[in-house]
Amino acid sequence: MSKYILPAFIIIVILWAFIKKVPIYDNFVKGSKESITLILSIFPYICAVLIAVELFSLSGLNSYLAKIMSPVLSFLGMPPELCEILIIRPLSGNGSLALLEGIYKTYGVDSYIARCASVIVGASETVFYVGTVYFSTTKVKKLRYAIPISLIACYVGAMASCILCRFM
Amino acid sequence: MNLVFTIMILVSLVMLIVVSPESAFSIMISGASSALKLAFTLIAIYAIWLSVLSLMDGIGLSKMLNKLFRPLTKRLFKGESDLALEYITLNFSANLLGMGGAATPLGIKAMECMQDGSEKATDNMILFMVINSTSIQLLPATIIGLRSASGSNAPSDIILPSLLATIISTVTGVVLAKICAKFRKKEKESQPEVLPKQPLYSTQPLGQAKK
Repeated sequence: MSKYILPAFIIIVILWAFIKKVPIYDNFVKGSKESITLILSIFPYICAVLIAVELFSLSGLNSYLAKIMSPVLSFLGMPPELCEILIIRPLSGNGSLALLEGIYKTYGVDSYIARCASVIVGASETVFYVGTVYFSTTKVKKLRYAIPISLIACYVGAMASCILCRFM
Repeated sequence: MNLVFTIMILVSLVMLIVVSPESAFSIMISGASSALKLAFTLIAIYAIWLSVLSLMDGIGLSKMLNKLFRPLTKRLFKGESDLALEYITLNFSANLLGMGGAATPLGIKAMECMQDGSEKATDNMILFMVINSTSIQLLPATIIGLRSASGSNAPSDIILPSLLATIISTVTGVVLAKICAKFRKKEKESQPEVLPKQPLYSTQPLGQAKK
């Protein structure tokens, strides 16, 4: 069902535009042009973030931090196996999907740990990516309390995920 | 951001120089080149979405959606212009439906409309970022796909807990952001009373500066 939504939506928009005599080709040219200027302004931010994320996950710092964090997780009633994915989730979308696949393979897709991890990844976003990309074309340099609050909210959601997965 | 970035790369590099110094540089390059690959993919995705969005503007669909969600967005983002609210609405709709590719350019445009020209993010900008980073997606399609590809018996079992967890995290974020905004406002209101008491430099005669 969900596979029809996207193409159907685009068809409706194009037909509607045709009826209203909005120039479709011109708008596609305009959109593609805008896309290039947009990427030019956000690329430096993506690049800097991804260099840091790659260093962070491949240097072993990530798994080292996960070891330190695991007693905290056990204390909060969350499986300590989720440490690594909880640390990577706000940093990298692809990184967390790769870890998720690893968890599926190690513990089984339908295990409690795997379901928790799925819900955590599904119900949160790449906080640092959103923080850098969304502000990239503005003059804003100081994000004030934006990142701490986003992180707290995401981790509250993660704790809720683990509790919810026990009953559902 | 500068502090987080510096700590992350510095500690990682120090660890690498101990463990495997030869791989440090290649890891940095691989990070940069995955950014390049991502950028190329994003150009393609945004080209399609920005085209569709500009058609949606043309036929007035954006304005209609804005009217529909206005009661909610106007209350959340007090004092924002109509154009900003329109982008916010479109960004939320794209996020709800899981169209990440459309949500990002709209989010960037919304931020541009909300900025007040200073280097500090406004309370509304922060609230917008918080909502965007707690994910408001109704159906985690990517995860369900990954689960069924890994041979799950019930790949869509996670829909309900994901939805509830998303609601919990988003509500937490909004409440915390609103509390912070109120707290800062009170601080700001109490500051101007102190300021005028300080001596002003312009009252000093120019001649004295030579001493």
